[in-house]
Amino acid sequence: MGDISHLVQFFFSGLTTGSIYALIAVSLVIVYKVSQLICFSQGEFFIFGALTMVTLTSKGIPMPLAFVLSILITMAIGALIQQALIRPIQGSSIGALIVMTIAISLALRGLAMLIWGRESHILRPFTQGAPLQIFGATLQLQVFWIVGITAVILLLIWLFFEKTSFGIAMRACAENPLGASLMGISVQKAALFAWAWGSGIGALAGIAVAPLMFMQYTSGVMPMVKGFIAMSIGGLSSIVGSVIAGLLLGIIESYTIGVISSKFSDTIVFALLMVVLIARPNGLFSKS
Amino acid sequence: MEKIRKAWWLIPVVLIILYPVTIGGKSAYWSGILVFAGIYVILAVGLDLLMGFTGQISVGHAAFFAVGAYTSAVLTVKYGFSPLLAMFVGMLLSGTLAWMIGKPVLALKEYYLAMATLAFNEIIITLIVGFENITGGASGLRDIPPFSIFGLVLDNHLHYYYFVWAVVLIVIACSVLIIRSPFGRTLVAIHSDEVAASTFGVDCAKYKTRVFVLANVFASIAGSLFAHYMGFIAPDDFGVSTSVNILVMLFLGGIGTIYGPILGAIFLKLLPEITYLVQDYELLLNGVILIIVLVFMPKGMYGIFMTLRNRIFARVGK
Repeated sequence: MGDISHLVQFFFSGLTTGSIYALIAVSLVIVYKVSQLICFSQGEFFIFGALTMVTLTSKGIPMPLAFVLSILITMAIGALIQQALIRPIQGSSIGALIVMTIAISLALRGLAMLIWGRESHILRPFTQGAPLQIFGATLQLQVFWIVGITAVILLLIWLFFEKTSFGIAMRACAENPLGASLMGISVQKAALFAWAWGSGIGALAGIAVAPLMFMQYTSGVMPMVKGFIAMSIGGLSSIVGSVIAGLLLGIIESYTIGVISSKFSDTIVFALLMVVLIARPNGLFSKS
Repeated sequence: MEKIRKAWWLIPVVLIILYPVTIGGKSAYWSGILVFAGIYVILAVGLDLLMGFTGQISVGHAAFFAVGAYTSAVLTVKYGFSPLLAMFVGMLLSGTLAWMIGKPVLALKEYYLAMATLAFNEIIITLIVGFENITGGASGLRDIPPFSIFGLVLDNHLHYYYFVWAVVLIVIACSVLIIRSPFGRTLVAIHSDEVAASTFGVDCAKYKTRVFVLANVFASIAGSLFAHYMGFIAPDDFGVSTSVNILVMLFLGGIGTIYGPILGAIFLKLLPEITYLVQDYELLLNGVILIIVLVFMPKGMYGIFMTLRNRIFARVGK
């Protein structure tokens, strides 16, 4: 019995971290789908969302309002960055674009340190209550929020890209920017929206996980790298693929830590990424 | 005039040689900083060959910096090798490793290549942390002996300063010669258009792997120098953030120019000394400086330097 409860426990924690990876991967995919750019500062939107929420709730603002406000603030930061910093260098080499998003990430991390200091913060759970006991494994109530939020966001994104004309227009921008602009679609506006959205979803992931982990100015780095791995295993522009990859990654990681050893779990994850990249450069789940 | 223009590189060389007898002779602190700057120059120049000239993105350059440093450290501490021999073993190991992973990894393009190199860097670090009975794990490896060349022990900062900068000059000279050779021109051709290069009969995979091996052997040398100078190394020194730092040096100085990354490396290593008064702002400042360079000075510091030089010579020449 004891073994089963451990295995269930690993599954729960894998599912939790996996949803976070999936959300971050999705936020990366949205920016990539529209502007062919991988944003290395996504991890900073993750902490900005979480820490803004911490500050707002500590000021006595009710949870739901603070939730909406933190996401809107982060979205505004993302949009501002796109307009002020990414637009001017759009024609540059991919190397320059990567370094630009890294520079933005450094600057945001420095800013976060000035605002929130070097110490860690933790957010109150969305709902109070004792953790559930299933097969002898404990499950925090916050996990339901994380998985629920991930599911709702994915549904909304799917509806947007598949069913609305604006979403289809945004996809067109990615596939053929010139053609899209000839059809009267503003590629600039689409990129701006993608950034605002991408940063908003990054912030959402941060807020959802903030009650379960200590957040400080450097906490965005590792989730960002894992989201990045999920995205590349899933195929850079596949939302469904990156979600599956994100969940899988969380679960694999959790089981390797639990069953094999915590020492080499990251080695295995990164080796997996290299194998996938070399064997199937377009990702496991992409159609082409 | 033309002679001065061609021999301008003598000025920095003379400055390097004269530094100890002028400002820095007594200050071990400044010599130490310049030793670090030199080590990073070697790393940046190597990455410039790979990225600036061949167009192959790497976010994992510190991986081979780690291989060099750890080979040197483990062999000298645990097996009693001489540092010089350990450095050569490190170079050999790095070269072989780079050659083995070069072809499959460099077949990837752009973002995929960036991710694969990043992953490789992480794998190396997690292995170093994991095999703690050999590498000392996360707490690092101490008591690494100082460098010695045929019995001559480098036991003060000035010795190291001259040794490291001699290596730096050799690396730069090699890089300049390589870039001006047919091999270098082939690399540039691959950078501008790989398909076109291969239609002209260039075996792109072979050339890319070769430059990858070369850049990483440079990184390995830098790693050995670092390990023996520090006497203590830990995995934190070689993580992805170090790779990112080298990348930043490249863009700050001016990518694809050999001399630019030198300026970038020295500037970025001296920056903390200038900004130590505003420590809390350091991270923000680094980011902002880099953003400014990327937006307003696409050719980096070297671009500014060249513009100034040309203006001065244009005026003097009249």
